Amino acid sequence: MTSFRLTVEKAVKTYGGVTALADGNLDVQAGTVTALLGANGSGKSTLSKILTGVVSPNSGSITLNGAPMRFASPQAARQAGISAVYQELSLIPDLTVAENIWLAHEPLKNGFVSRTLMRQRTQSLLDLFAGLYNRHLTPDALITDLTPDERQLVEILKALSFDPRLIILDEATASLDGQQVNRLFELVTQWKANGMAIVMVSHRMEEIFRIADKASVLRNGRTVGERVIAETSERELVELMIEGAGALHRERAPLVDPANPVRLEVRGLKTSVLHGVDLTVRDGELLGLGGLQGQGQSDLLMALFGAIRSTGQMIVSGEARHFRHPRQAMAADVALVPGDRGSEGLLLIRSIFENLILPSWGSYGTPIRVARAREKGAVIAEELKMVMSSLDAPVNSLSGGNAQKVVIGKWLLRAPKLLLLNDPTKGIDVGAKAEFYSLLRQLRDRGTAILFYSSDDDELLGLCNRVLVMHDGRVSTELFGDRLTHEQLVSASMGTPS
Amino acid sequence: MTTISAPKTRSPIGRTFSRNPFLLSLILLIIMIVINRALQDNMLEIGPLNGTLRTMMPAIFLAIGQTFVVIAGGVDLSVGSILSMTNAILAVMITQEATADQALVAILVALAAGLGAGALNGFGVTVLRLQPIVTTYATSFIFAGIALRILPEPGGRLPRDLTSFYRNPLQLSESFAIPLSLILITLLVIFWLVLSRTRFKQFLFATGGNADAAYTTGVRVSRVKFTTYLLSALFATLGALALTLGTGTGNPRAGELMTLPSVVAVVLGGTRLAGGQGNIIGSIIGVLILGLIGNIISFGDLDSWVRPLVDALIIIAALAIPGVIGLVRRLNQ
Repeated sequence: MTSFRLTVEKAVKTYGGVTALADGNLDVQAGTVTALLGANGSGKSTLSKILTGVVSPNSGSITLNGAPMRFASPQAARQAGISAVYQELSLIPDLTVAENIWLAHEPLKNGFVSRTLMRQRTQSLLDLFAGLYNRHLTPDALITDLTPDERQLVEILKALSFDPRLIILDEATASLDGQQVNRLFELVTQWKANGMAIVMVSHRMEEIFRIADKASVLRNGRTVGERVIAETSERELVELMIEGAGALHRERAPLVDPANPVRLEVRGLKTSVLHGVDLTVRDGELLGLGGLQGQGQSDLLMALFGAIRSTGQMIVSGEARHFRHPRQAMAADVALVPGDRGSEGLLLIRSIFENLILPSWGSYGTPIRVARAREKGAVIAEELKMVMSSLDAPVNSLSGGNAQKVVIGKWLLRAPKLLLLNDPTKGIDVGAKAEFYSLLRQLRDRGTAILFYSSDDDELLGLCNRVLVMHDGRVSTELFGDRLTHEQLVSASMGTPS
Repeated sequence: MTTISAPKTRSPIGRTFSRNPFLLSLILLIIMIVINRALQDNMLEIGPLNGTLRTMMPAIFLAIGQTFVVIAGGVDLSVGSILSMTNAILAVMITQEATADQALVAILVALAAGLGAGALNGFGVTVLRLQPIVTTYATSFIFAGIALRILPEPGGRLPRDLTSFYRNPLQLSESFAIPLSLILITLLVIFWLVLSRTRFKQFLFATGGNADAAYTTGVRVSRVKFTTYLLSALFATLGALALTLGTGTGNPRAGELMTLPSVVAVVLGGTRLAGGQGNIIGSIIGVLILGLIGNIISFGDLDSWVRPLVDALIIIAALAIPGVIGLVRRLNQ
């Protein structure tokens, strides 16, 4: 138990043509807490998944106690004593707490699963967090009946049940409350003393400084440095995370004219993920939404579009509205460009023309005046500089960038007054991005109010004059003018006021 | 208690039903028995009961096999054809003069063919990663074709002492007899209760509940899925055995219309079609309900067109229940 040392060197992982991890390195030892840091898309999730055998690297080496290792599957990593608390929870909703915790290593008695033993052991694990959860959290409770924080606790206990020598906490505190986090950190300190190695991936800088011994920083898929926490500062770590990353050509517009009418005003917007969001967008403004992924940005846009239920006040074009269905939002000249083209934005096997006209068939009469619709479609395709064989080609024959133009084009045909963009440039090539940016600028100059969520910090910095940074379902920071810098953006994403 | 978020509360009755979805089907079954009894006085006497249960046995085996596949998140549309194929094999190989040894060999051959069919399905789903519906629908034509190749026309006659052993109630004492099918059903229930205490059962439910989560936890998801197709084929073969012994003959189209009812019985028994929840006891009840509905229609002097209509309504109702529950929940929010 005393000597546990796991090192990852020069790990590379590509998905299709996209490099998620270009040079990942990590050194983990018994009795230390190693924090893994990085901005969005820096490769920290990929690196931690390599440790747990969920993802197998294209190249690179893993060394366990001096011997080369290769984890072909999660089971293999588990046998080596590695277990993880995953960010996207790995619990099975219809099984009980006990069944989930002991899945794949159920205590057996005479070859049969012993429910009694399973219950007892689950209870003693639950006792670690005694008094910090609701009474209905028992070994026999179904996961689907638990609150998010309780599921997170179960997830932690599940990882612990494997009696690991290395435990990976991937955003394990995301849905815990203050006292639960305190208790978890007490436990982490105990585990450390008992010689366990701990890797923690966290977006909360404050937690890293509370509990970690050292930090390993990733940037653009590369490990760029390792620091001893006692000898570093938040500032130094943030700088490591961003250094030299901001390469996009800056062409930022001045702040919007305050005389422009307010297109959208939101007060106290709440959903299951959002905890009260306030914001205002004026005509001709390109307002950015930033922060680490999954802090409620997509929920905000979906709620504004009426695609998910929300409570709170919304004033659209001077009228109090609350959209309960995307149709109502569309009728009020609101458009949403979704993030996932394949699943939300396009009918992939249908023609470009059909996709473009889909939201606006209503304006071409009954029977439909197809010729006129085609004319309009051709104009938009021209305006978007789409590279295609013909309007009748199926959308799945297009490149990612051109497919995304179809998604945008279909909403532009409706001439929206408020455009909501949900990370629209994910996975499209640089050239298409540049065209997309100039399109956004044109729309803004024509007076469209745009709310633009991007997981790419450079885009926000290069296009927006004001950025709202979201953290844990709230707008934590508003950045504009001199305060709108990459450093501010990253440190606000990590939840550190500076 | 530091957590502010209110726990979801469920009434004890709601919880009982959500944990044991087959309770609802049990109530439905009792209603069916009462109606059926009213139409057919001697229904619960040993003779008619034995006959009713015996005709349902093949469907019960199919539904049990189907349950495993559905719980793991798949579906097997080839069970009917596997039954036809193995029924044909048994009818051709067990001739009227067959010895016990020859009968045993025939059963082993049928089992091997059935398991081969299951392995083909499992291969398509877990190795080639094809959609279960597509895979098993396609293979169903292969198995149906093989059945017709082996036995082009209905025929074959099994030795009388073999079939009569299966057909007649088991005479335990002079005054007390019990339908053999009831013993088989009891054994199947015991089999399930034993299985429920194995790791395999946990893996099965975890795979259907959330295959990705199960995989990251260390469950060999592909292996579990593969096994469900083997089990489904195995039970289809046992169904064929029950059918062959019951009818004493073979029919290459015997299973043609049995696949869909097997899925309906599974859903009727409270197994979730999307996987992750279910139970073979419920499926057995599901088959009994479907069978009794057939009885009611024939004893109630209803027109023959009523039968497919009722079947269709049951399918729609069974499939709609989860959606309706979800709709009610959303409206209550």
